[in-house]
Amino acid sequence: MTGRAGIANRRRPRFRRREALLLGGVAGAIACGWVSLASTVAGRPSVGDPSLLLAFLGLLAAAHAVLSLAGSRCDEVLLPVTGLLMGLSLLIMVRLPQGLVVQEFGPLELGLAPLQLTFIGLSLTAATVIAVALRSDLWLRSYKYTWAAAGIALLLLVFAFGEETNGARLTLRVGPVAGQPSELLKILLVVFLAGYLADNRALLAARVTRLGPLRLPPLPYLLPMLAMWGIALTIVVVQRDLGAALLFYAVFLVLLWVATQRLGDLALGVLLFVVGAVVLYALFPHVRERVEIWLDPFATAQGAGFQVVRGLYALGRGGVLGTGLGAGLPGVDGHPSIPAVHTDFVFDALAEELGLAGALVILALYVVLAERGLRIASAARDDFRALLAAGVTLVVVVQAAIIVAGNARLIPLTGITLPFVSYGGSSLLANGIVLGLLLSLDDTRLAAPPPAQAIGRRERLRDAAGAVAGRVERVIS
Amino acid sequence: MSGLPDLPALGAPPRIGPALLRVALALIVVYGAIGAGLSWWQVVEAERLTSDPGNPLLLAAEREGRRGRIVDARGVVLAESVPGGDGSWTRRYPHPEAAPILGYFSPDFGSAGLERSFAAELLGLRSLAPGGDLLRKLRRDLYDPQDVQLSLDVRLQRAAVALLRGKRGAIVAIEPASGRILALASTPSFDPNRIVDPDTGAAYFADLLDRPAEASALLDRATMGRYTPGSVLKIATAVAGLGSGAITPQTVYPEQPAEERTGFLVEGFRVRDGHHPQTGQRTLDLTGAIEVSCNIWFAHAGLDIGGERFLAWGERMGFGAAIPFDVPTAASTLDGGDGFVDDVELANAAYGQSETFVTPLQMALVAAIVADRGTLMRPHVVDELRSADGRVQTIAPEVWRRVLDAGQAETIARAMQQAVEGRLGRRFAGAAKVPGVPTAGKSGTAELGGEREPHAWFIGFAPVEAPRIAVAVIVENGGAGSASAVPMGGELMAAWLKLAP
Repeated sequence: MTGRAGIANRRRPRFRRREALLLGGVAGAIACGWVSLASTVAGRPSVGDPSLLLAFLGLLAAAHAVLSLAGSRCDEVLLPVTGLLMGLSLLIMVRLPQGLVVQEFGPLELGLAPLQLTFIGLSLTAATVIAVALRSDLWLRSYKYTWAAAGIALLLLVFAFGEETNGARLTLRVGPVAGQPSELLKILLVVFLAGYLADNRALLAARVTRLGPLRLPPLPYLLPMLAMWGIALTIVVVQRDLGAALLFYAVFLVLLWVATQRLGDLALGVLLFVVGAVVLYALFPHVRERVEIWLDPFATAQGAGFQVVRGLYALGRGGVLGTGLGAGLPGVDGHPSIPAVHTDFVFDALAEELGLAGALVILALYVVLAERGLRIASAARDDFRALLAAGVTLVVVVQAAIIVAGNARLIPLTGITLPFVSYGGSSLLANGIVLGLLLSLDDTRLAAPPPAQAIGRRERLRDAAGAVAGRVERVIS
Repeated sequence: MSGLPDLPALGAPPRIGPALLRVALALIVVYGAIGAGLSWWQVVEAERLTSDPGNPLLLAAEREGRRGRIVDARGVVLAESVPGGDGSWTRRYPHPEAAPILGYFSPDFGSAGLERSFAAELLGLRSLAPGGDLLRKLRRDLYDPQDVQLSLDVRLQRAAVALLRGKRGAIVAIEPASGRILALASTPSFDPNRIVDPDTGAAYFADLLDRPAEASALLDRATMGRYTPGSVLKIATAVAGLGSGAITPQTVYPEQPAEERTGFLVEGFRVRDGHHPQTGQRTLDLTGAIEVSCNIWFAHAGLDIGGERFLAWGERMGFGAAIPFDVPTAASTLDGGDGFVDDVELANAAYGQSETFVTPLQMALVAAIVADRGTLMRPHVVDELRSADGRVQTIAPEVWRRVLDAGQAETIARAMQQAVEGRLGRRFAGAAKVPGVPTAGKSGTAELGGEREPHAWFIGFAPVEAPRIAVAVIVENGGAGSASAVPMGGELMAAWLKLAP
């Protein structure tokens, strides 16, 4: 046993051919975009100052090299797909006014694009390190309640000390570093859910309690569902972060269904969602406003609907083939025409300059990402890994769907980032961790999962209930 | 034991793989729907969004871009961009008498009129060439400014403005067979050159905005002014009556001669007919009623038509909703927009009082329907768009509604000719007669109540057989129609027949 593990841990470097080819294509596409953008800006053929482009391509090459040198056998499509998304992100950040975000580090003053490139570097580093260095998932699966408690603690910290941006309380600042914990929270919750559902899904799938026409699992097993619902509601009420709440709840529901495959669960979850939505709509003006904007943004085109209407103009201007990089996005008095164009509305910016064609390619990239992630999940060696892989995949692609649909006025707008594309360190870092987890879960080097515990159901049930209670107590205190 | 319930034996949980497949399929459906939604905005709605006047693209383009010219039917320049000192462009309007329809464009005060509604074309945000929008991105020049050619003839426009000089009112002249607008005047008006002039603009624009609503110079009365029509509306009633079959050309009301003296009692309200010459014991038919402008006859006709049918036929003529036109228009109503509350309102509406409110453009269309023998062409003032590379997009005349049989329209046309040329009629509308040309028309005197002078109206067309021009004239508080509006209509028609023989 130890001998085999030892050999597995010291694998020889292995050329990842498919990844290299795909990355070559990505590098070519991004380089073409770079030249197109620089030429449009300069008014003549030009490559501008290619240092950011070269640095980005260097980062991709480095990630590829590390995976190859470590002899990793993990998926070879995910890195090129996310690399292309990050490359598009870099292009649009270079193209936007650099003054949108400026941070000073001593004498160094960084604008939008260099900052985003830094975050991309962080993200790729996190992904690569996790992919190469993660040898065991025991620490993830054993401490699921701790992860959940950490997540909720994070949430409480934001409630207590968070800063408000655009009416939502999202940002936590520690010294010079500011971050949006909800980005990390989504991963912590998925880890918890994967652990919890994997351990208890046999029980959850069995119905023993009757409540009217509903067949429910024993109450202790319902608690997590109600807790998730409560967390989502709390996020809406206290943080005013509709997007994160929708994301958490949607991912939770899908994972629950994957684990139990009971349509009743899905129905109950949707029912709870409808109840919550109606109550929030009735009680909270900020929820009502979002819905009203969604129904008729043009009615308040100069007020509340301004951002959405400007986004739609961008889509219309883009047309089928787009204006070309650097030629769209009219500035009005030096400001971009869409507020928050670098974060919540980055998709509309890309759709204007790259057109419907480019927009569909971006959507397709997320679909490919979903396909690879779910494939990894279905090939996983046990339920925990399957649910974890599916969960982190869903976190990315559901989030992308929510924000793109909001940008295109298909659902009410909720302010969340477009994974791998929107400006923001927390978002890129969290999504880098997702990428790393998926890669490592796909690697045969990850230690074999522990055998299912041979304790009796009853004890496990009691332990679980006790643990939930314990953590909840700790959290509340 | 704990309080936990006894659990039944658990089978193996369902396999996760197939569920993941379904999740993947659901995601594909979701992303497909999003893709479809994006296609809706980026393909189907793209043009509407891009030319929306609120689009900042227009603002940005307007600040730096050159606009195309606006020229009249013979190519006379009405608006053009001239280079300013600093690489910017300034708008110049060689014929400010066309201001009501042209509007203005100023970087400081925004835009109005055709300058606003055709901003996307004038700036060239859309290309006339098929596929031009796809190819344009390969060029440095993002815009393809187009010249806008109008059906308006500046000579007739000048004549119309001269007729209205010193009065408040509006004139619309239209070519009945095509719906082309020949002149569109509104007074008082403004000088767009002074709005766009950086030196005088601020003070001048502030002064324009300061004026009370009834003296507003920025309001285009021809398309946006809503007036009580008085007797000119009887032509619309005749169209509705003949079209719906409620009346025939031979319809007479035996009680009408007596009611000329006593009044026609409708639900306690007495419809009176003070001012047409006594026609004695003669019962009037449609032609006679139009010739002498008999309120009582039309009140009877209105009640015969009934409120519902009157409104429905009004809609066919363009009432009840804004008329689709090249600049914004106000809706004309027969019922104030809220239905006829009783027969009194209906009877009074039938001869153009109570809550009838109409735009001069709408009344010109009523004249045009009769002139074109029952067909209503869609009114338009923009004839052609021309891009710099010589591409031309022609806006072809199109039938908007077929309102009436040619025979029925002929009856009304002949009655309107009687109103101008007949023995009794010419006492009111005779001044509209174009010398040597069979002329049709109808005068109106819109009572406003109180001490205010009535509005003076005229609608008409010439020549009767093959009309080349239909007009609507209103002079606000101009007194009896015959005094002011009627001769103006005649002079305008005569001017056009001389200009375009």
